[in-house]
Amino acid sequence: MTIAEEISIYKVPKTMAFTQFSEAIIEGERTVYHLKYPSLTSDDIQQMMNVVEANRESYLASLTTQEIVEKIDQAIQKWLDPDYPLRRRAEQLLPVITGYDKDMVRLELKKYMRTFRKKELLRFLDEEFDQPAMLDEFRPRKSGGMSRAFGPNTLFHVFSGNVPGVQIWSLIMGLLLKSATLGKTSLSEPLLPVLFAQSLEEVDEKLAETLAILPWKGGTAELENAAIANADAVIVYGSNKTVETMRQRVPLDKPFLTYGHKISFAVIGKEALTPDLYYETIYKLAEDISIYDQQSCLAPQSVFVEQGGAISPKQFAQILASELGRYHKKRPRARLTDEEAMAIQKLRDRYQFEALQGDQVEVYASQTNTAWTVVYHEEAGFEGSPLNRSIHIFSSENLERDVLSIKPYQSLLQSCGLAVAPDRLFTLADRLGHYGVNRICSVGEMNSAKPGWHHDGGFNLLDLVRIVDIERDVEQKMEAFDPDVE
Amino acid sequence: MREAAQQITQDILHFIDHYHLGVHHPKTVETEFNTLALELFRYQFQNNLPYKKFCQVRRRTPLTVKHWLDIPPMPIQGFKQLSLSCEPIEEVRAVFMTSGTTNPELKGKNYHPDLSVWDASMEGPFKTFVLPDREEMTIFVLSPAEDLNKNSSLSRYLTHAVTTFGSDHSRFFFNENGLDMEGLIDALKDCAERNEPVLLMGATFSYVHFLDYLEEHQITFQLAKGSRIFDTGGFKGQSREVEMEQLYARFYNYFNVGRNGCVNMYGMTEMSSQIYDQTLLTASETDSVIRDKTGPAWVKTVILDTNTLDPVKIGETGVIAHYDLANWNSCLGILTEDLGCKTEHGFVLLGRIKGSEARGCSIAVDQLLQSNLGGGQR
Repeated sequence: MTIAEEISIYKVPKTMAFTQFSEAIIEGERTVYHLKYPSLTSDDIQQMMNVVEANRESYLASLTTQEIVEKIDQAIQKWLDPDYPLRRRAEQLLPVITGYDKDMVRLELKKYMRTFRKKELLRFLDEEFDQPAMLDEFRPRKSGGMSRAFGPNTLFHVFSGNVPGVQIWSLIMGLLLKSATLGKTSLSEPLLPVLFAQSLEEVDEKLAETLAILPWKGGTAELENAAIANADAVIVYGSNKTVETMRQRVPLDKPFLTYGHKISFAVIGKEALTPDLYYETIYKLAEDISIYDQQSCLAPQSVFVEQGGAISPKQFAQILASELGRYHKKRPRARLTDEEAMAIQKLRDRYQFEALQGDQVEVYASQTNTAWTVVYHEEAGFEGSPLNRSIHIFSSENLERDVLSIKPYQSLLQSCGLAVAPDRLFTLADRLGHYGVNRICSVGEMNSAKPGWHHDGGFNLLDLVRIVDIERDVEQKMEAFDPDVE
Repeated sequence: MREAAQQITQDILHFIDHYHLGVHHPKTVETEFNTLALELFRYQFQNNLPYKKFCQVRRRTPLTVKHWLDIPPMPIQGFKQLSLSCEPIEEVRAVFMTSGTTNPELKGKNYHPDLSVWDASMEGPFKTFVLPDREEMTIFVLSPAEDLNKNSSLSRYLTHAVTTFGSDHSRFFFNENGLDMEGLIDALKDCAERNEPVLLMGATFSYVHFLDYLEEHQITFQLAKGSRIFDTGGFKGQSREVEMEQLYARFYNYFNVGRNGCVNMYGMTEMSSQIYDQTLLTASETDSVIRDKTGPAWVKTVILDTNTLDPVKIGETGVIAHYDLANWNSCLGILTEDLGCKTEHGFVLLGRIKGSEARGCSIAVDQLLQSNLGGGQR
């Protein structure tokens, strides 16, 4: 027998009341979940933003950055306890909502939460501000004078739903800048930010009253325009299409941060393919490809493998294929839409036909389904993949020369997982940087960007604040206005 | 043609001749279909080298395949990248090509050494699904005929329909300059005045231009009872169902032909037979109209799970594959890129499977090619 369970996937200030609700229905193994959220009008949005802004004004705005960090840390500490009820809730529901494997979600979630401990938040603030206290008050500058950073009063976030957790990062950014938040979630993953807001509520009720998080259908102009009109800054995650549509609606004077389409890849030198190292290299790469089914823009879609190691690039492709097979047994890939599955079938067909005609291509793939696919290319090159654990392996005689193939994709490039001898690091990093890469990381760590990283090559907090300077002669000249001056 | 080719086409023609009219319950022809399909598979495996290699990669050979469902269907991409022909391609009578606008070098090609099977395969089902109640009819054609487009299977089909089933008044209205709207209007007026039923035939979009013209000039026709409208191809956009319903409404408003006087044909360059909805057939016989699509006894359509490529159950959706015995020279099994739903009376076509949408910041390859490098899909 199946049980029906209703789950609220929204978090709004207590004073907001709704009468109309919508539902998304998701079927679990034994339970049918009714995900409930309010049906909104543009007036609701405006009212909600007025409320969170007022709550910010009366509370959040007067907290020090240090106090905010403490409070976030307390909420994060809760999540680091395996028995914390909301963590268990997330571990139970996220696999049902997203289709991702249970164990994978459990592991990745706790790894991710650890990146927001107090020490990491401090690091993150220090990375961008010489003195994070300038978010609280005017602070002296080395060049003289004083400066203070003002965050936006209200922030409107548009979240994507491909990878659970990214929304939390964005919410924390808003809190550190003392901004009231309206977060629009995607129905493909609407839950985690709401659960996190509930944890903040357990720590500090008034703090949580500055947050409103809820889903609506992306592209609903009436609601989005109301949100933009009432926000001081906008952050958008998602496809280039989503980003472009939003860009046209945000007035030029509002800070507008976007995290659009990106692709990542790996570069494996022969030094990482010695008899004692090759297996570990492949094992780690298989993880990078498999975590969250490659849906994150941090996951690799192509790999350059250098000739001259203990195994050839072709053997590398074959061993990687069996490793992906093993990973799938351990943590099966999510069920795909017809479009996603056919994209993989088409990729396989196209390269199998090339292989039949004697081209230097091989396809290694799961036999009975689309679970994993490795396309091996004898010639160096670069290609995006249809994701969901499908990868291109390009054989390379010389990595320093062949990485040039990434150049046409410049505007889309993001991370490069690099495994080469130390003396090659800077030559390669320089080239990769020139061609558009903005993050060089270890193989096996591709999906775990470190706290304080320059997301898509830019700043995070700095791009949202307005810095106010008091010039040095002002403070000196003002001394003359002191009635008590000599 | 070589002797083996003559032999296999004889066997297929015999099968077609036996079942050329009507809709046959799958079970009644299952054994004969299976026998001939396996014979044809063996023939294609031996004579079509790229197909043989394709089957070997999938570990399917005439020795291991005992049921037609185990014959590997060739993805339509294969008709673009490979030369799929049992007979030498230099000696073929006709080559039908897909329109493939993005890359002319990668058009899908289906080679026909001889058109006798193709013609035989066209005639019976056309009679069954388009003219169940008549022997011949006045046919007006809105799309190019064979002489204008030698490599189009649709043009060949339209010409053959007029030659075989058209009365003396039948005409083609598409010439070098496009559709002759005025000519068609005059001819339709004549038919309406003579109270003579007419069959309009054309690609779905060809009607849209003509209807826009009629709307602009405020012209409507009261076509005689028994008139009917044949369309093929459908709309490509996301709102295709809505667009089809709007089109049917316009057919009624401008031609006085109701929904039950319309038939949609589903054909492909990569196939040699056609599939139809059963509207005209069932409307002429019973009160309960079936719109689901089906084909003749020598075509079996299966809906496959997109992840496993195993057949789905009734009511489920998946990618459409056809097994067409008339496709004797290339591959009898064809894996399309169309999405369909299996039903009790056949299947419902849900449209072309679109490129996969990225769920977030990550991007899939086909979108990448489209949006950022300015290239089309390969």
